[in-house]
Amino acid sequence: MIEINRQSSNSMGIELRIKIIGLGGAGQNALDRLQLDGLDGAELIAINTDAQALAGSVAPIKVQIGRHTTRGLGTGGDPEIGYAAAEDGAEEIRSAVEGGGLVVLCAGLGGGTGSGAAPLIANFARQQHALVVAFVTMPFTFEGRRRLAQAEEALASLTQQADLVVCFENDKMGDSVSPRAGIHEAFAAADQMISQSIRAIAAMLQRRGLIRVGFDELTAALRSANPRAIFGYGEADGDNRAHAALEKALRSPLMDRGRLLADAENVLVHIAGGPSMTLGEVTLLMEELNRHIHDTTRLLFSTSIDPQLDRKLSVTLLSSLAAGASAASAPPFLRPATIPEPHYEPEADVAPAPAPVSARSTDAMPVPAVIPIISPEPAAPVPPPRPEPRPEIAASAATESVAAGKPSFKPNGKPKTAREERQEQMTFEPVTRGRFEKSEPTIIDGQDLDVPAFMRMNVKVK
Amino acid sequence: MGREDFIVGLEIGTSKVCAIVAETRPDGTIKIAGVGEAPSRGVRKGEIIDLETSSICVREALADAEEKSDVMIGSVFLAVTGGHIESFNNRGSIQIPQDREEICEDDFEEVQAAAREVSIPQPNQFLHSILQHYYVDGKDGVLNPIGMLGQTLEADFHIVHGVGSRIKTGIRCVKELGIEVEDVVFGPLASAQVVLDHNQKNLGALVIDMGGGTTGFVVYSDGAIKHSGCIGVGGDHIDNDISLGLRIPMARVGRLKTEEGSVVLGQTLPGERIVLKDEHGFAGKEVEREMLNTIIHCRVRETFELIKKRLEASGAALDFLGAGVQLTGGCSMLRGVDALAQEVFGLPVHVTCVKGMMSGPTSAFENPRYSCAIGLVKYAQATSVGVRRQSGLFSRLVNKLPFFGLW
Repeated sequence: MIEINRQSSNSMGIELRIKIIGLGGAGQNALDRLQLDGLDGAELIAINTDAQALAGSVAPIKVQIGRHTTRGLGTGGDPEIGYAAAEDGAEEIRSAVEGGGLVVLCAGLGGGTGSGAAPLIANFARQQHALVVAFVTMPFTFEGRRRLAQAEEALASLTQQADLVVCFENDKMGDSVSPRAGIHEAFAAADQMISQSIRAIAAMLQRRGLIRVGFDELTAALRSANPRAIFGYGEADGDNRAHAALEKALRSPLMDRGRLLADAENVLVHIAGGPSMTLGEVTLLMEELNRHIHDTTRLLFSTSIDPQLDRKLSVTLLSSLAAGASAASAPPFLRPATIPEPHYEPEADVAPAPAPVSARSTDAMPVPAVIPIISPEPAAPVPPPRPEPRPEIAASAATESVAAGKPSFKPNGKPKTAREERQEQMTFEPVTRGRFEKSEPTIIDGQDLDVPAFMRMNVKVK
Repeated sequence: MGREDFIVGLEIGTSKVCAIVAETRPDGTIKIAGVGEAPSRGVRKGEIIDLETSSICVREALADAEEKSDVMIGSVFLAVTGGHIESFNNRGSIQIPQDREEICEDDFEEVQAAAREVSIPQPNQFLHSILQHYYVDGKDGVLNPIGMLGQTLEADFHIVHGVGSRIKTGIRCVKELGIEVEDVVFGPLASAQVVLDHNQKNLGALVIDMGGGTTGFVVYSDGAIKHSGCIGVGGDHIDNDISLGLRIPMARVGRLKTEEGSVVLGQTLPGERIVLKDEHGFAGKEVEREMLNTIIHCRVRETFELIKKRLEASGAALDFLGAGVQLTGGCSMLRGVDALAQEVFGLPVHVTCVKGMMSGPTSAFENPRYSCAIGLVKYAQATSVGVRRQSGLFSRLVNKLPFFGLW
């Protein structure tokens, strides 16, 4: 009996099977959040080295890796151990990701399991011909520079492996909770945001869309030299829900009140609502959104009906930071050039972890040199942090990546200055709004008029 | 309570709160009895951000006006402004019932209601709907259709709307002092009432009200409003630019701008410097005059260009504005602003203040700063013919006046 399901057509002609992997403590938290909020049509898989933490997860499928390496304990914040554990548990991971059309990997970078195993798991999934989207968080600044450096290395490695990497900065997400709120709340806010964005992307790529966005468009929206995401999510009900939802989305902490959108080249908008959503609402919302973006910005628009939302309407905005915008908006990453070179002693001091959450143990780790072996030529200029994402997967590509793109945390004796090459650009003067800093921005045609006119016109003033 | 023929116009601006008490005479003239003014705090970009502080400023200004005019203020006409205020033109059309051919007064309200049947963003409220033209059975140029015969009555309206909650905040601010608000008026519209005379409205003119927090604009042509709007950029932004660009404290910038600044470039000697004397809390500094002017120039030019772009986008034909551009508001007193406007718009430009049948202290109506507040009085006078005072707060007095009269 052949059943024709109008909704089940997608780019591949078959229903997209989504597997969502929560890796390590942070990933597992995000996954739990996703499970609690409920997500249809996706398999949730928790992967961790720490057996105890894994037992606490509500995910239906649990995979413990590194049975021999860590013997059921955590990695102690060491990516080396995380990597070894993933190699150790390669079989389990492979069988877990098998058959997934889309593998969503969420992990907190900076620790051991997330940073170490994520690139490898992405690689395994790619070998299984799956599209790999990674949602990762960068550690809070207060977690220490070393952890940040580990996270940066892992991010670079992951961007080589995954089709798409969306990176959230915990620092920014922390802004969404009041300074007095407990640290749990700060982390919960981060989990919530990741969960919302995964849900939005899943909904977009799954069948439900009235106006669909394909994976190719998705990667186009987020393809940028800088994988840090601009993400906004808003949900509202009531008479004025379209307006209210957009307001909320623009108020999301990663949005910087919609100011960052002005610089974005591509913006992906997903509007979901219950059956009562009207065309008028969608039009109104898009018109309002258009005021916040530049004329030349490409809007990728999709909409879907989700009966779960009932009377609510939700808006998801997703984009990546323009290359130039990164410096001004990501101050924690403007490290001084004099950062001490990492020393390479693999099994060095493992500090006891004053971890804010279970598996996020902290630093004092040697920073592994992540040198993608596929790097062009030894003398080539700065390799772009991430390669072109490939929307289509050819079998050959997968095998190729096994041969060439295997991420390695093994110190290979050549402490090449990958770090120096990736040093970020800093604009000479940060964009400033002076007395209008705290007021609602006046944005016309994508220009923030509160920023002095002469600065926007690039007039030099002594 | 104030005497019946006294009208108070209140403008809660970004730089100042200003109340004008004026006596309206039956012959249409206005005599200003007193001007109350207080520096404004708690207002940014024309919108109240600190209700309590603003309320204190309003109280100061009203008390000042009462003292100078010797009139007890019981109610005011309030100006509103802000970047949230938008406008569009729309045509309403109704069929006159078969059993009567004559167009009567009720039809006017019906056609206006028809014109308002458009969707505006949910939080917005209608502020004005101003009549532009009538058409009876497709024939235009009808000034007053009442009593005429016809089957269809159509009318073009200029509709101004803004975010309801923000408009109400202004009203709240006044009502907290126990003073009634008779009507709210979009600031630039009020200014245009006194800046333009009847002839100029017919010739066509662009009025730009350059305030402290916002810059509003109104286009008149053929005696009717064609376009209006507001950009949330004003003198405050110039101050902010100077402060950031030259690294001078905000408190010192205002004087530097008005005393030394100019909008015109290339008129200084090379390397000419302005010496800022040291004073309390400021160590003194030398700034290059051309730099100061450049900063002001960039901002003002940008604002003019934004207005021009908006007008062009709305299809307003700037070339046909016979009376050119009229600049008013506090920022129009910047040196050379007319020359720059001329360059941008390509039209004759005048910096103007209140014109027409006015009497009272000349310092009040010869200063473009007060255009808006005096305009409120003029608006009240023009709209109040006959039907004043029965109407409530958000009443659309204009509705009741199916004449070209004021507009």
